[in-house]
Amino acid sequence: MKKKNYLLFFCLPVVGFVVIFFAFSSLNRSYIKKKVEGLVEEQLRATAEILKVNFSHFLGEDYEADKVFDLYTNEENIYYMALFNESREILSWKSRFEGYLPISKESMQMQGSWIINSPAGKIFNSFSSFTLPEGETYYLYLGYSLNDLQEMMAHSRRNFYLIFGLIIVVGIVFSVGLYQLQIHYMDKKSELEEEKKEKERYREISALTSGVAHEIKNPLNSLSLLFELLTKKGPSSDSETIVSGRKEVAKISRIVDQFSSSLKPIELSKDAFPLEGEIKSVQESLKKIATEKGVDIQYLQDSSVTLFADRVLLSQAIHNIVKNAIEASEGGDVDITVKKVRKKVFISVKNSGRGMDEEEKTRVFEPFYSKKKGGMGIGLYLTKKIVEAHGGDLDLVSSAQNGTTFTIRIPGG
Amino acid sequence: MRKRTYIFSLWFLGVIAGLPFAQTPQHFYNIDSERQVEGTIQEIVMEPRYKDSAPFLVLILEEKGTHLVYNVEVSPAWFFEQDFHKGEGLTVIGSFYTTDGKKMNIIAREVRFKGETLVLRDKHGFPNWQGGQTGEKGRRRGKGIKKF
Repeated sequence: MKKKNYLLFFCLPVVGFVVIFFAFSSLNRSYIKKKVEGLVEEQLRATAEILKVNFSHFLGEDYEADKVFDLYTNEENIYYMALFNESREILSWKSRFEGYLPISKESMQMQGSWIINSPAGKIFNSFSSFTLPEGETYYLYLGYSLNDLQEMMAHSRRNFYLIFGLIIVVGIVFSVGLYQLQIHYMDKKSELEEEKKEKERYREISALTSGVAHEIKNPLNSLSLLFELLTKKGPSSDSETIVSGRKEVAKISRIVDQFSSSLKPIELSKDAFPLEGEIKSVQESLKKIATEKGVDIQYLQDSSVTLFADRVLLSQAIHNIVKNAIEASEGGDVDITVKKVRKKVFISVKNSGRGMDEEEKTRVFEPFYSKKKGGMGIGLYLTKKIVEAHGGDLDLVSSAQNGTTFTIRIPGG
Repeated sequence: MRKRTYIFSLWFLGVIAGLPFAQTPQHFYNIDSERQVEGTIQEIVMEPRYKDSAPFLVLILEEKGTHLVYNVEVSPAWFFEQDFHKGEGLTVIGSFYTTDGKKMNIIAREVRFKGETLVLRDKHGFPNWQGGQTGEKGRRRGKGIKKF
């Protein structure tokens, strides 16, 4: 499956959920709004009825309409009110806004209630009649502010958008997180599959090459014995050729031995030992080669480190790297640095050589890859195997200006 | 000129403080009685018009052709920024009503004057100086002015 498809796979459910939430919430809000508006209308109608009863009472007591209106001055939600006679002629009115009484002949004919929009917000209008006990009929026109209802709706809308926004943000974070996790899992899976295939291939090659090495070793032993016999009993005139032949046989034998050892699985025999001693012994053993190349081996250690590892194999690994560093140098220093960071030990070997090109950097740990004259390409391959067998890794940093640094990182210390 | 109008307003405030405001049952913006009048300014006065409200700018307008005289209620003096002068012509759209059976009055919704339309109320008569839902009085000043 392509990455784009994975993204869709994780995003679509979130998008679907958001759409459903939006649709559901919108329908719900619209239903609640309708219901609340209905309730408010009912309540306002009831209030209008109460007011009509009061008006009826006061007008029956010969109060002037203006005086009756004054009784409701403190009612903040009443924007305007007006009293009309039976012929629907205005008798008196009161409004919070100068001269604002938005009633027309048409709305008077309709009677009942309606809502209008004004710059002061929505206004609930009610126009209805009432009759005094004496039989006189009047009409009362009222305008109530619906600002409280609008505020409530605005509050609900704000909350809705807030929650909606939060859901989108959480959804995006969640789906991106899942997507990343899935990608990571898929990468790891394909990496493991690759590794498995590589191991399989390696096992096949190992079995084949071990067989070949074994088959070569037997005739080589016979050849070695033959040259030994010729050295002792052969004509003295051919002694130089015989020595040379013997050397070549020994060389082939050594190659086959190295070849066989590189194919064997590494078995560790661990014990605790001070690292400093091993490095000094490597330094000592390579002193001669270093002197020949005009290289000075420097050893820097910030604190003493005791490792629990296979002493012989680890020494061999360090030896290989230091030897490589010397051989790749044209004079200058080879610095060996040991550092302990948390629970890991870092052994770095740095030279000031010419550095490696990109191809060399990617292939340097491959078996039988070498650019050195007479090199077999086994050393760094074996070193990497030894370090990895200890649960560590071997890093390489190289540039033409700063030379090459190999770093062994192994747990412990 | 604005300063002169301001001093004039203060003087009028002093003069009219004791006068009763002129609200009658018909004195509201009746959307059924809208009409348009074009005429010449005869006089400019300020009068208390509504209870608990600032003095209003009222123009005495003589209609062109008919020579009928109208009392045109414009807006609270503080809201109106234009300068009117006697003899100037203007057109008013507003709600018409009479008092004492003969005095003709108009509550102005729009005033067209010197190529500008000054919108004072909305089509239902809601006064623009009340500011709308924000409750910030005077914020809408001049908003309705449009060139034509």
